Amino acid sequence: MALCGKSWLANEGSKHLCLLFWFSLNVGLFWKTFLLYYHGPQYYYLHQMLGLGLCISRASASVLNVNCSLILLPMCRILLAFLRGSQKVASRKTRRLLDKSKTFHVTCGVTICVFSGLHVAAHLVNVLNFSMNYTEEFLALNAASYRGEDPRKLLFTTVPGLTGVLMVLVLFLMCTASTYAIRLSDYDIFWYTHNLFFVFYVLLMVHVSGGVLKYQINLEEHPPGCFHPNTSLQEDIPVPGSFEEPFPEYSPEAFPPEPEQFVEKNFVGICTEEPKFQSHFPETWLWISGPLCLYCAERLYRYFRSNKPVTIVSVISHPCNVLELRMRKENFKARPGQYIILHCPRASALESHPFTLTMCPTDTKATFGVHLKIVGDWTERFQDLLLLHSRQNTEILPNFHQRNYPKVYVDGPFGSPSEESLNYEVSLCVAGGIGVTPFASILNTLLYVSPTHLKPFSQ
Amino acid sequence: MGRIEWAMWANEQALASGLILVAGGIVAVAAQFKGWPFAAYSIAAGVFVCLLEYPRGKRKKGSTMERCGQKYLTAVVKIFGPVTRNYYVRAILHAALAVPAGFLLSTILGTACLAIASAIYLLAAIRGEEWNPIEQKKPPERPPVGGGTIKQPPSMPPPRPPVETRKKQPLEEAAQENPIPVTSEAE
Repeated sequence: MALCGKSWLANEGSKHLCLLFWFSLNVGLFWKTFLLYYHGPQYYYLHQMLGLGLCISRASASVLNVNCSLILLPMCRILLAFLRGSQKVASRKTRRLLDKSKTFHVTCGVTICVFSGLHVAAHLVNVLNFSMNYTEEFLALNAASYRGEDPRKLLFTTVPGLTGVLMVLVLFLMCTASTYAIRLSDYDIFWYTHNLFFVFYVLLMVHVSGGVLKYQINLEEHPPGCFHPNTSLQEDIPVPGSFEEPFPEYSPEAFPPEPEQFVEKNFVGICTEEPKFQSHFPETWLWISGPLCLYCAERLYRYFRSNKPVTIVSVISHPCNVLELRMRKENFKARPGQYIILHCPRASALESHPFTLTMCPTDTKATFGVHLKIVGDWTERFQDLLLLHSRQNTEILPNFHQRNYPKVYVDGPFGSPSEESLNYEVSLCVAGGIGVTPFASILNTLLYVSPTHLKPFSQ
Repeated sequence: MGRIEWAMWANEQALASGLILVAGGIVAVAAQFKGWPFAAYSIAAGVFVCLLEYPRGKRKKGSTMERCGQKYLTAVVKIFGPVTRNYYVRAILHAALAVPAGFLLSTILGTACLAIASAIYLLAAIRGEEWNPIEQKKPPERPPVGGGTIKQPPSMPPPRPPVETRKKQPLEEAAQENPIPVTSEAE
C-alpha cells in the first residue's frame, strides 16, 4: 500500500499539484475581483446601478484573462521541444508534465467556454440595468443615452457589445468543432475553425478597449454616499439592501472615512465636489500580450525555418499500404521519438500532417525518414505524386537527381513523450501497427550510436 | 476539403444551440422579464431541437460514434422518414424556430447559434448529404465449423516428425549477422 501511494505520488503527484495550483489561481482571482467590485468604494455608484451583475461579470472576466493567456502556452511547440531536450533546464518529473500540455490546453479551453457563458449572462443583466437604472446624477457613468433605451440597441451599437457578440459566435464555432467526435471523423473542420483563434484575440483586444465600466477617481473629495448640502443623492437609483441607511447621524470626526470601514459603519462626510469617473486601463492587454507575442514569434520562426524544401532521397513501398520516405535537409537535427509536419503544396495547398520520424539524422548520416500509412485522401494523393514520378523515370533516367519529386516542406522537429525512453534504465515499449514508428527511431539510434554512449538491451 | 461531412458539425452546433435556448429561456422565465412568453417558447423550441438532433446520423465512410443512449431517439426520428432524412427540411425548420427567440435579450444568442447551424445544414443539403440512422448490428452468426460434424475439441496432439529432425540450428550457422553479440536463451 505504501509503495502504491509512493508510486502514485512520483508519477501522478506533480500533475495534480499543477492542476490544483491552476484551480486555486482561478478561484482566488474570481473571489478577489468579486470582492473588489462588491465592496470597493470606487465602484460604489456603479454597483448601485448594476447590482450583482457587475461583480459576477468582472470576476469572470478576470478568470477569462488568465485562461486566455495560459491557453497559448501549450501551443508553443518549439519551446516545449526545447524544454524536453535540454536535460539541464528541467528535471525528468517536470518534463513529464509537458506530456499533459494538450490536456491543459483543453482544460483552459473548457474553462473559457464556461466562464464566457457566465460573463455573457452577467453582462446581459448589466445591459438591462444600464437601461433601466439610467442616472441623471452621474451622467458619465451611463452607457445608455436615456432611460429605458432598448437593451438590444446597447448591445449591438457599443464597441464592447458588438465585439462581445462576435466573440461568442467565434467561440461557438470553435467549441462545436472541437468535440471528440468531430476531431475523429473530420479533423479538417476542427483545424480550420480552430485557426479562428486569431480573430478571437483581435476581437478581445478591441473588446476591452471600450471603457464602458468606469471607476471613481476622486474618493478623497467625494467619499461615496457622502452628504451633499444642496441636493440629496440617490433619489433615482434603487438602493440595494446593504445600503438602506446611507444618511445616519452626521459624525464630524469620520471625515474622510476609510474606504473599507464605510460600508459597515456608514460614516459619511461632506462632498466637496461631484464624483469624477474614469475608464479602466485594459488589463487584458497586459495579460495576453506576453503569450501572444511568444506564440507569434514562434510561428514566424517555424515559417522561416520550414521554407526551404527538403531533398527526397528515396521512396520505398512497404506491404500493408505503408510508404517510407527518406529525405535530407541542411541543419536538420532531431532526437529519436520526435515528429515532423509535412507540407506538400501539390498534394494540398492548406493541409499539413504530422508524422513521427522513424530514422533520425546522425553524425555520419544526414538522411532522416518517416513511415506513412496510406489511409486518407491526403496520403493517397501524396503517394500518387511520389510513386508516379519514380515509376515514370525509372527506365529513362536512373540518377535520383533527375527525378521530379514534388516539393515537400518539413516543419519541426517537435517533441513527444516517447523521447524519454532513452533516459530510463529500463524501458518497456509497446506498440502495434503504424504505432511502432517512435520505437523504430529509437531502435535505429541504438544501432548506429556507439554503445559507450548508450546501454543497448537485448530483446 | 473534399470529404468533409458538414452535417456532423451542424448536428453538434444545433444540439449546443438547443441547450443555449433552454438556458436563456429558463433565466427569463424565472426572473419574469418583460416578454417572458418568448422565453417559454424558446424553452419548448430548445427541447424539441435537442431531441431531434440527439441521434447522430451515420457517416458515409467509416464508423460513427454513437451518443450515449441514442438508439431510442433514433427509432423515433426514423419514423418520420423523408422529413427527418432531408437536410433542407432541417435547415428551414431551424431557421424558422430561431426567429421568435430573437425578440428577447436572454435568448438572442440561442437564435444566432441556431441560425449558424441552419446555414451549415443548408450547406450539407446542397452537397447531397442525408441523415441515415445508425442501425444496431446483430452479432454475426458463426457458421458451424467443419460442417457441423465436429462436436468436441481434439483430445490427442497432432502427429509430429521424429526427434532427430526437430533439433534447432546452432547459432553460428544462423543466416543473420548480428552487430551486437547476443546470447541465446536455451530452453
